[in-house]
Amino acid sequence: MSDFSTVSPLKILDHSVQRGLGAGNLGVLVARAGVGKTACLIQIALDKILRNEKLVHVSLEEGPEKVISYYRVLLGEQTKSLNRADESEAHALVEANRMILAFMNQSFDIKRLLANLKNLRESLQFQARSLIIDGLDFKSGGKPLFQGLKEIAAEFQLEVWLSALSHRHINDVNERGVPYPCHEFEEFFSIIIQLQPQAEGVFLRLLKDHDSTEISKTLIRLDPNTFLVSEKT
Amino acid sequence: MGFAHVNIILCFSLCPCNMMTLISFRKDLILNTWNWIVEEIKKIRNIGISAHIDSGKTTLTERILYYTKRISTIHEVKGKDGVGATMDSMELEKERGITISSAATHCEWKGHKINIIDTPGHVDFTIEVERTLRVMDGAILILCAVGGVQSQSVTVDRQMKRYKVPRIAFINKCDRSGANPYRVKDQLSQNLKHNAAFLQIPIGLEGRHRGVVDLISMKANLFEGPNGENVRFTEIPDEFMDEAEAKREELLDKVSMFSDELTEAILEERVTEDLIHDAIRAGTLSGQLTPVLMGSAYKNVGVQPVLDAVNRYLPAPDEVKNVALDLDLEEEEVPLYSDPEMPTVALAFKLEVTPYGQLTYLRVYQGSITKGDSLVITGSRKRIKVGRLVRMHADQMEEIKTAHPGDIVAIFGVECYSGDTFTDGRIRYNMSSMFIPKPVISFAVTPEDAKAEKNMSKALSRFVREDPTFKYHVDHESSETIISGMGELHLEVYVERMKREFNAAVTTGLPQVAYRESITSKASFDYIHKKQTGGAGQYGRVAGFLEPSPTGDYEFVNEVKGGAIPTEFLPAVDKGFQSCLEKGLMTGFPVVGMKVTVNDGRAHSVDSSEKAFTFAAIGAFKQAYSKAKPVLLEPVMRVSVECPTEFQGNVMSFLNQRRGLITSSAEEGTFSTIEAEVPLGEMFGCATTLRSLTQGKAEFAMEFSKYAKIPTALAEDIKKQLRTKSIKGAKANE
Repeated sequence: MSDFSTVSPLKILDHSVQRGLGAGNLGVLVARAGVGKTACLIQIALDKILRNEKLVHVSLEEGPEKVISYYRVLLGEQTKSLNRADESEAHALVEANRMILAFMNQSFDIKRLLANLKNLRESLQFQARSLIIDGLDFKSGGKPLFQGLKEIAAEFQLEVWLSALSHRHINDVNERGVPYPCHEFEEFFSIIIQLQPQAEGVFLRLLKDHDSTEISKTLIRLDPNTFLVSEKT
Repeated sequence: MGFAHVNIILCFSLCPCNMMTLISFRKDLILNTWNWIVEEIKKIRNIGISAHIDSGKTTLTERILYYTKRISTIHEVKGKDGVGATMDSMELEKERGITISSAATHCEWKGHKINIIDTPGHVDFTIEVERTLRVMDGAILILCAVGGVQSQSVTVDRQMKRYKVPRIAFINKCDRSGANPYRVKDQLSQNLKHNAAFLQIPIGLEGRHRGVVDLISMKANLFEGPNGENVRFTEIPDEFMDEAEAKREELLDKVSMFSDELTEAILEERVTEDLIHDAIRAGTLSGQLTPVLMGSAYKNVGVQPVLDAVNRYLPAPDEVKNVALDLDLEEEEVPLYSDPEMPTVALAFKLEVTPYGQLTYLRVYQGSITKGDSLVITGSRKRIKVGRLVRMHADQMEEIKTAHPGDIVAIFGVECYSGDTFTDGRIRYNMSSMFIPKPVISFAVTPEDAKAEKNMSKALSRFVREDPTFKYHVDHESSETIISGMGELHLEVYVERMKREFNAAVTTGLPQVAYRESITSKASFDYIHKKQTGGAGQYGRVAGFLEPSPTGDYEFVNEVKGGAIPTEFLPAVDKGFQSCLEKGLMTGFPVVGMKVTVNDGRAHSVDSSEKAFTFAAIGAFKQAYSKAKPVLLEPVMRVSVECPTEFQGNVMSFLNQRRGLITSSAEEGTFSTIEAEVPLGEMFGCATTLRSLTQGKAEFAMEFSKYAKIPTALAEDIKKQLRTKSIKGAKANE
């Protein structure tokens, strides 16, 4: 499955000072509605899963069935674009390494997540290396939420990837140029990546790279259908 | 809706002018009849009464039938008078005081026709439950004023939510000591997430319970006469006035969100009863409000207001969206309309054997059925004639001429299955998918004596008609009768029914999982079948290879060149291989997912025959099969467990211990749904364990997902067990 690393959206982190997010840290993908945050998060998840690492996918808007079919579609796209002969091996890896936790209708809170992760570790011996949280409402959670996530990341030694919804009409940025809604919580994130839709595709850009002040200006172009890297610009 | 005026238009074009008056009279008559039927449909209520066991479902039904004058006396459940309540028509139900089967009964209340579909209180009887939920448009959820919302109520309620069945709640047993309807209403809101609103408050509780205050009319309702048949409306007793006013405020507050008109009226202080009723109706139909009534069916308190509420708040058939699958459009979903003139669509949801013959309960969804009509069963394409059309009241019946959309009727002597769709032949609609899953579990049933054997065979032929997922056959090796179905519980219910309903005493064998064999690598064969024993000989040679089929189905590929095997013998070769699939050589279970390619062979001008080539294929299979590395496959079930969140951890580790692969967990409110794929063999006895793990609060469902390879070590164990069993079987046969 090594061929995947050449087209994975995580390739953007080749330009990061630490060449990755790292366990215990939070990373965030920020974009406007409809740009493809979920698809991009799932490609990141598949990157981890196909390296045979266990992953927990937390969905706050869609039920498990939707999430599963999303994975299936994106894995299919991957198979096609990588000319992989057989999908069954990849499917088996996904089934064995992915755990979906859905929290519907505002039932998500840090305590429940913590209880779930403990349960997975203790009852199922499911030791996740990464945690994906899709659809988190940054505004209502506030700082305690991110503090809690940071503690979870540290306790379980997880790489945590989140999606954040920015807004066309809200142009708030902080002094380091980090946009809404991440600007107030920047301290909690080690990596911030922006997804920008343009005519030629969706571009990934690093906005924050750990403590580095010299952030790579490289843009990575993703195919808007597959959310896989199509070429470097 | 496109109703057919075609016949009228045709009349106009064909008839001479002097008949115009007659025609216009006829047109009016037809239109009036149509309007009348449509108006009548609006007055139909198809309801289910759902409840936890022992919360008084049968008693309430009995009282309803009494007040609607369908029965003249009241019998109590558990037969204190030896008769038993009218709705329980099966022996098993009479004995346990519970209801398993869904008999439908008809009654009329204040100009409305109410069909009561008695729903199974157990969640285990899936097919039955699903069909019942499907035919009902609304429901009364009975709760016990003492026991409150119990786990079973939660389960039943969740099922209704899934089917979007609007419901009203009736808090029963307010006369019992410890009765507290207020607590039950709070539980409704907390545990069931209902937006529950009291329409009444009790006048006295426990021993002093004698009536209710209606918060809409602000009148006290007292139930007088020997059986509470006289409802008397009086002023609210002083001591209940303050509470009544406070609760009315609460009610108005809750229901005003479903009606702008009511909101305005409240502000302008000109609230009318009708405005409140309309708002409650809108809320109930949207599934966002549960009106709560109360009383004691046993003490004849509060039953008539429930009937009023059914008429007022629950939907008429034309207010519910129903769909069918159009077989001419690859099972595309199509809407059904409560239009008596459109092509007929009806669903057979229940079969019953009566002393008069087989009775089929139908719900008409679209079009009409008239005595003498001929109908087509979509599945079997059989055409049947409607001889007698009756409306059922548990064990009694009433002959009718025509049934319209929304009606629930029964027809006689029709050979069909439960779940069959009937149409008038103009369309090919089916109410449910034609896909029927193959059984995954089986066990042997042995009758204890000759009488039991006769009764068992009667029972079996009945069950296969009721439930397409239930099958039986006689194993030709052991001569045992094997029943098979979709799960352990599924089969146990039928065994129980054999004993109770058909008086067939049977013993059951151990459950047997339907394993499969499959090959994992390519193996070639080259086999000559030769026999010369005087007379016509047999000769056939086949060569080629076996390999796993990429589609998972059996495939036969002909690559024979130059007529090495004459074309006329190739079907015989195919047949030979197919006959081998029935019994794999490793364990005797069927072989799946094998592709056979034949690329060479030889025939003899005199001695070759179809038979010879069939034998050659069988020989070739035997030659190559073990080289193709066969493995044992087991059925894996998609299991879904719903439980209160506090048990999530227990349930997950339980599934994990049973070689389950947990795929997801979804939380909503206080409930979690855990999905996993678990081998069927590991699910035996699982219902009991799950119940004890979750204090009976978990609901679980499973369906067949796929066949998967059994881990090697385990496969060896299973093979060993199967061998011992077959040796024992062989000895027993000697």
